[in-house]
Amino acid sequence: MIHSLFLINSSGDIFLEKHWKSVVSRSVCDYFFEAQERATEAENVPPVIPTPHHYLLNVYRHKIFFVAVIQTEVPPLFVIEFLHRVVDTFQDYFGVCSEPVIKDNVVVVYEVLEEMLDNGFPLATESNILKELIKPPTILRTVVNTITGSTNVGDQLPTGQLSVVPWRRTGVKYTNNEAYFDVIEEIDAIIDKSGSTITAEIQGVIDACVKLTGMPDLTLSFMNPRLLDDVSFHPCVRFKRWESERILSFIPPDGNFRLLSYHVSAQNLVAIPVYVKHNISFRDSSSLGRFEITVGPKQTMGKTIEGVTVTSQMPKGVLNMSLTPSQGTHTFDPVTKMLSWDVGKINPQKLPSLKGTMSLQAGASKPDENPTINLQFKIQQLAISGLKVNRLDMYGEKYKPFKGIKYMTKAGKFQVRT
Amino acid sequence: MPYLGSEDVVKELKKALCNPHIQADRLRYRNVIQRVIRYMTQGLDMSGVFMEMVKASATVDIVQKKLVYLYMCTYAPLKPDLALLAINTLCKDCSDPNPMVRGLALRSMCSLRMPGVQEYIQQPILNGLRDKASYVRRVAVLGCAKMHNLHGDSEVDGALVNELYSLLRDQDPIVVVNCLRSLEEILKQEGGIVINKPIAHHLLNRMSKLDQWGQAEVLNFLLRYQPRSEEELFDILNLLDSFLKSGSPGVVMGATKLFLILAKKFPHVQTDVLVRVKGPLLAACSSESRELCFVALCHVRQILHSLPGHFSSHYKKFFCSYSEPHYIKLQKVEVLCELVNDENVQQVLEELRGYCTDVSADFAQAAIFAIGSIARTYTDQCVQILTELLGLRQEHITTVVVQTFRDLVWLCPQCTEAVCQALPGCEENIQDSEGKQALIWLLGVHGERIPNAPYVLEDFVENVKSETFPAVKMELLTALLRLFLSRPAECQDMLGRLLYYCIEEEKDMAVRDRGLFYYRLLLVGIDEVKRILCSPKSDPTLGLLEDPAERPVNSWASDFNTLVPVYGKSRWATISKCHGAERCGPELPKTSSFAASGPLIPEENKERVQEVPDSGALMLVPNLQLTADYFEKTWLSLKVAHQQVLPWQGEFHPDTLQMALQVVNIQTIAMSRAGARPWKAYLSAQDDTGCLFLTELLWKPENSEMQISVKQNETRTETLKSFISVLETVIGTIEEIKS
Repeated sequence: MIHSLFLINSSGDIFLEKHWKSVVSRSVCDYFFEAQERATEAENVPPVIPTPHHYLLNVYRHKIFFVAVIQTEVPPLFVIEFLHRVVDTFQDYFGVCSEPVIKDNVVVVYEVLEEMLDNGFPLATESNILKELIKPPTILRTVVNTITGSTNVGDQLPTGQLSVVPWRRTGVKYTNNEAYFDVIEEIDAIIDKSGSTITAEIQGVIDACVKLTGMPDLTLSFMNPRLLDDVSFHPCVRFKRWESERILSFIPPDGNFRLLSYHVSAQNLVAIPVYVKHNISFRDSSSLGRFEITVGPKQTMGKTIEGVTVTSQMPKGVLNMSLTPSQGTHTFDPVTKMLSWDVGKINPQKLPSLKGTMSLQAGASKPDENPTINLQFKIQQLAISGLKVNRLDMYGEKYKPFKGIKYMTKAGKFQVRT
Repeated sequence: MPYLGSEDVVKELKKALCNPHIQADRLRYRNVIQRVIRYMTQGLDMSGVFMEMVKASATVDIVQKKLVYLYMCTYAPLKPDLALLAINTLCKDCSDPNPMVRGLALRSMCSLRMPGVQEYIQQPILNGLRDKASYVRRVAVLGCAKMHNLHGDSEVDGALVNELYSLLRDQDPIVVVNCLRSLEEILKQEGGIVINKPIAHHLLNRMSKLDQWGQAEVLNFLLRYQPRSEEELFDILNLLDSFLKSGSPGVVMGATKLFLILAKKFPHVQTDVLVRVKGPLLAACSSESRELCFVALCHVRQILHSLPGHFSSHYKKFFCSYSEPHYIKLQKVEVLCELVNDENVQQVLEELRGYCTDVSADFAQAAIFAIGSIARTYTDQCVQILTELLGLRQEHITTVVVQTFRDLVWLCPQCTEAVCQALPGCEENIQDSEGKQALIWLLGVHGERIPNAPYVLEDFVENVKSETFPAVKMELLTALLRLFLSRPAECQDMLGRLLYYCIEEEKDMAVRDRGLFYYRLLLVGIDEVKRILCSPKSDPTLGLLEDPAERPVNSWASDFNTLVPVYGKSRWATISKCHGAERCGPELPKTSSFAASGPLIPEENKERVQEVPDSGALMLVPNLQLTADYFEKTWLSLKVAHQQVLPWQGEFHPDTLQMALQVVNIQTIAMSRAGARPWKAYLSAQDDTGCLFLTELLWKPENSEMQISVKQNETRTETLKSFISVLETVIGTIEEIKS
């Protein structure tokens, strides 16, 4: 299915290759480089590139292209999902997934890839099973390994592979039994000039960290399950039970996993927690323009908005900007024309604002495109959709676990047009 | 990294590997081996230390073993004789008490890829299939496929295949999926693994135990199973229901495809499924991963071919966000075009209007073309937007708007007035060939409604010497002659100048010939010129025919969840054909019909060879006269009798095609102008029994394919077949001449 994998950095060097069937010559990547050149920007390289004898499917993450070479007809989503899984695994193993880190850990990378695919077919991709096969390198372990000469390969086969529940290993034991759930919601929105919402939707996930002894059977119920339009589950969730009772019933995997992801879209009005007031004006044949933006809270249910950053790509005609923020720091890169303003917390009593002037190219007509403002923010202890967990019960084991639920709202692709 | 001078590196490493002091120190030894691997991954040729690495494989250190095996798998094909030395160690490791070591050794042995290794790996694989650790069984099952490939596609080992079939009942889910994968590869020549009823039901029951990759692949294998009864069919669909809600988009798409294929006789079930996957599909369209978004969008477009209104209420999901990559934006704009209906047209147009001033010229132009295609239904609103865009006086915008106008007046004559009013002034902002051609064409055809048309053309005539594009000069000649017919007084003088220039000074032969042709035509008399040049100014029927009818779901169900929606069928077909050719040696020449029939014909008359295909059962009547109206009426009243797609790479010359078709007595009724994309032609022919063949050729440059649809007024399969073979031969021949 997946013949070979090439890792290519954005300057076009192949810094790692792995072949699962016969060795495919590096020259196959020339077609990729051609496409890369044509695309001008790395983000714009098309994900599927046909060549006379192969197809190249790639994903671009952490400034690295992961290029899979395939020779037969495959479901494209399958390969793309798998490549993302590879990246996730690397990130999980090394903390960050970057070119220097992969180069430093090339041996572990190879070991992991060897276990993830055999003959081009996905084999072990669950991170907790992989980690039992090949232990991730940590600073401590590297030191210990160097001293004692021991290795980072597990001596035991992962026991989970023999369990009746394929996603959970048998014989799990903890002294502290705990189950934590994080409800994280991201708002994707486009807000128009006048401040009204063009599109808005919420993409939510519930990530869990479950450390429970034995084979616990959990049920999780919501106060308002009807909110969830479109839900997809971890394979452990009993689908029939959800269909009939709207209750999540499952035997959890051990450790970290994503229990479910959901969407709340236009049908249930999405609350927008921030607003941006802007006044950006270019005047014809004048070398100065005015720039002013203010950010304020809207529907936040009394919670504070934190970690606010504003970025905006200014038109080409803007030479420089002289601005003063009422709080936070700002930068403007005159080469890329990227303005970014790190606001921090929003204090509703004293709204943060950024004011000043822009110097424009003299003599040129006024730019006809208006800059778009991208917003990042975080709100702790709030799920903006109003989703609330009602209760969590455990069956099948006798002890009393510690349970915790956390809510968080973040900006996804949140942009304001001006 | 030292790509040059790798000999020094090899020498140094070789020395280190042989050093007994290093060999004694486990850590240092492993570090040297790691360096070898590191160089190998960077593409350096490390085959020089093969001997030393083989020696290093005899160790208890499992990491070192892994590294050495990795090395051996890469270089064994280069050093088969030395690799045989390593086999011994590997064989011993295959009976190690640690299942990981057994698995590792077996996997490495199967991946050695060198001739002669088969006899050594057969026994360990057979043992591995019965191993008590599932880890080893997984490796052994795939090993069977690798061993078969090493044999070079010779005979299939029946006993092994039976063993694998029985392992489908293994309790480990990954062993089951690996069995499927392995059997598929071993039985490739016989069409892959056979899924009968017991296997199908067994797999269905195991589905929930598999990981997402396994599920996606099993869903793919289940496509081959044909349920016996309706009852069974619906049982299966019920079992699979929950996979439509899976967390993995790949599984959702796989399940959707299986539903569509299994329920091919129940259109309402198919529609129902498509309604149910709407949610997951839309979620994938706004996924974090750009690549997933892109593929999902391609599938959305495919669904829209059959259910045009399917996503209309979600049109806002397809609005582009500033930070998205181009390929996604372009797909979204295409989707938006197809979603437009009376309720959302206003919002969609406003959104597209915003894109027209995007920083990226390509994206802006795509948005303008999109507005142009919406204009076929919502003419007035779109023309107004396009007219406003002209006011921006941006070069890249104006040229595309004018091209859109040209196509629009041809399809929707009702907007001609508005377009004519918008045109004055644009000539200042057009520099490229396509834009100029479009503007000149509009000025020529509709010049009598544009007051300043002669003056604009005069500017072009003045500057004709510095004009770089011959196509623009050709267009200018035709346009000026047309305008001369309606406004002779203003044009006569400059027409003379232009003709003089073209005939006396122009260096491009085509332009000169065109000039001479018009000159001679004018000599014949003005009535003759009128008869030839004043063709209809619009053809609304073309738009009607071009409007793609709703395609049945079954026409694309088998392509769903493959690369086809992403890149179009013909491309993949050409790739697979190349593989076929590689494997089975030289391909037969395409024109085998010519070659075979050649010698039978006396050589004195070459012309007759051309007629061979139709001299058999089929005899086409020469000089068939059909009016366009009659053609259209008949075309619309008949059903498509045959449809097929031929590959067509590269450029296209309608004139050559028309001439070639004329030779075999196929008449061209109408065709798009040269350079139009997609290009269309309507052909007609009649055989001696009065059977009429109406044909549509549709050339889509983006898929590089030519789609042929033939309709027949009497149903006769025999003659239809011969007619199609004639067509194919003509198109095939032209394609060859061209390349």
